[in-house]
Amino acid sequence: MGNDVFEITVNAVKLIVVFLLMVQAVPILVWLERRGSAFIQNRFGPNRVGPLGLLQLLADAVKFITKEDFAPDKAIRKLFYAAPVFALIPATLAYAAIPMSLPFMVPAFEMLGSTWGPYTFRVQGYEIGVGIVFILGVSSLAAYTILMAGWGSGSKFSLLGALRAAAQVISYELALGLSIVGVILLYGTFNLTEMIQAQQGPLQFTAFGHTITSAVSWIPNWGIFYQPIGFLLFFAAAFAESNRLPFDLAEGEAELVAGFHTEYGGFKMLMFFIGEYGHMMIASGLATTFFFGGYGIPGITPDELQQIILGWGFSEAGAGGLNSLIHFLSYNVKFAIFLWIFIQVRWTLPRFRYDQLMDLGWKTMLPWALANTIATAVIIYAVS
Amino acid sequence: MTADAFLFWFLALSTVAGGVMVVSLTNPIYAALSLAFTMVSVAAVFVTLEAFFVAGVQLIVYAGAVMVLFVMVLMLFDLKHEVESFARGKVTGAIKLLAAGLLAGLLIGAILYSSSGELGSSAPQAAAQIDSTKTLGYRLFTQHIFAFEALGVLLLVIAVGVVALSRSKGGTHGKH
Amino acid sequence: MVNTNVFLEIGLNHYLVLSTVLFCLGMIGVLLRKNAIVMLMSIELMLNAVNISFIAFGKYNSNIDGQIMVFFVMTIAAAEAAVGLALAVSIFKRFKEVNIRFFEHLKG
Repeated sequence: MGNDVFEITVNAVKLIVVFLLMVQAVPILVWLERRGSAFIQNRFGPNRVGPLGLLQLLADAVKFITKEDFAPDKAIRKLFYAAPVFALIPATLAYAAIPMSLPFMVPAFEMLGSTWGPYTFRVQGYEIGVGIVFILGVSSLAAYTILMAGWGSGSKFSLLGALRAAAQVISYELALGLSIVGVILLYGTFNLTEMIQAQQGPLQFTAFGHTITSAVSWIPNWGIFYQPIGFLLFFAAAFAESNRLPFDLAEGEAELVAGFHTEYGGFKMLMFFIGEYGHMMIASGLATTFFFGGYGIPGITPDELQQIILGWGFSEAGAGGLNSLIHFLSYNVKFAIFLWIFIQVRWTLPRFRYDQLMDLGWKTMLPWALANTIATAVIIYAVS
Repeated sequence: MTADAFLFWFLALSTVAGGVMVVSLTNPIYAALSLAFTMVSVAAVFVTLEAFFVAGVQLIVYAGAVMVLFVMVLMLFDLKHEVESFARGKVTGAIKLLAAGLLAGLLIGAILYSSSGELGSSAPQAAAQIDSTKTLGYRLFTQHIFAFEALGVLLLVIAVGVVALSRSKGGTHGKH
Repeated sequence: MVNTNVFLEIGLNHYLVLSTVLFCLGMIGVLLRKNAIVMLMSIELMLNAVNISFIAFGKYNSNIDGQIMVFFVMTIAAAEAAVGLALAVSIFKRFKEVNIRFFEHLKG
């Protein structure tokens, strides 16, 4: 956490801020999703409350909170009420481990009559050495909330939806994990920050002791150029993991009403919503980090940008802060593009059938992920 | 109380509490959920022992896959009212509890008795220097490669066996 | 006079005692419960206890092999769970219950 009171305080506040960032992104995403779907389907969407319907979020929130707190007769109350609360935990824990910008330095300063040493703060909830393993592990706990909600509701639709969803999450976790192995082999680390650092600078392949730099200097050294199949598999599996179309068999309105959250309403429903969007955000953040350089900006390294900002007449610390902010914006642009792809896909593609879903997971994606892993390992071994 | 000590006692308490609930709760679903809680606590115990990668694997494999399977099967069965959850017979039950207690006492006694040796008192120094995950992978694929391959074969056999078991007559799709 | 050092300085013994307690809890579960699945879960508990002692020994001996053993134990535990659950499902389909006393009907 830190060595003195100031550092511990800042780190604790940071955790809360990251959590709020995630939670506060949800209403914006909901608005984007509703307006975006309307745009895709050539209709208006919510446009009455406030400019562009932006205040619709507020109205929704009020509606969610003021609804009657209701549990069905046959529900097992303990699980029924616990499930939405647990739905937030895996998403939050995983999201806080994704680095969002350059760490920034705070130089030594005087406060309350004593000197507070120089600090380095990372723009992420916490740094974990084995980042990917932690994120995969924590997000695999999401299956419990689904099962608890499905069984606790005491309804057949909920139970069926939950069993489907859990089976789907477990199946696709395998493909998801294997698709990342290529990336791990490539960068030789589990740590997300180190991965991002490896992706800085222009595209260059190192083979047999020679370095081939690409002729166009602004093409970045991103993972997507080394692992295109890995990226496709990862992104497809991420859709399945977050239970969204075209893999939202768990909901399947025509068959199961609404899947595992059939019996939920009001604020409890909202918690599930936040959990689902949280998974979407984790998938977007991870795709950005693994394959698109994280917070890096194409064509310029953080050090070069730091020099440019220093040229504008900022102090060392101020330039560091501004640099961090610019990289944070860069991360968020990439992040937002992925989120938009999630929304676009949801409103464009039809739903899979359940056997097609299982076939895709086990018979297509798993072999391809394995082949990708082996090919990557062989090439890395042969080339180095 | 230092942070390390607090962490250990907290995790020990939650692990043991989870274990007690697994054994004592009559509804198997609650037992399975508390076992999942125990697994997460054990993963945290691994973190305090600086085995970060193993802790992650514990989360993914145990808490994320094995226990989810248990919970799913139990929910499929829907065993809400279990008639005979504990073994019959008060005397035999007492003897069994006594035996388990005796084993625990014996083991703890042995641990405390042997603690005067060099192992228990020596401080961990070299553990921090190991870049543990890389070393782990290297050792796994050089020194222990035979065991690794044998486990692969075992998993294949078991996968075939489970499919055969659930397909056979009297299994999930059998007519009897 | 109670020696407070036992509570403040965490060493190998603490982890070993924790492991022992968990192991014996698992043993009680196997001995006392009649539900086949709960017995399987108790076995998982015992395996976890063993894992804790492996990792603790590995750390205090500065030897990574303890962690490798844990991998093997985890693999075997997962395999065992798969077989056990498949058997339990078969029994359940037949008798609508997973009590261990139905396993005596397995002889053929």
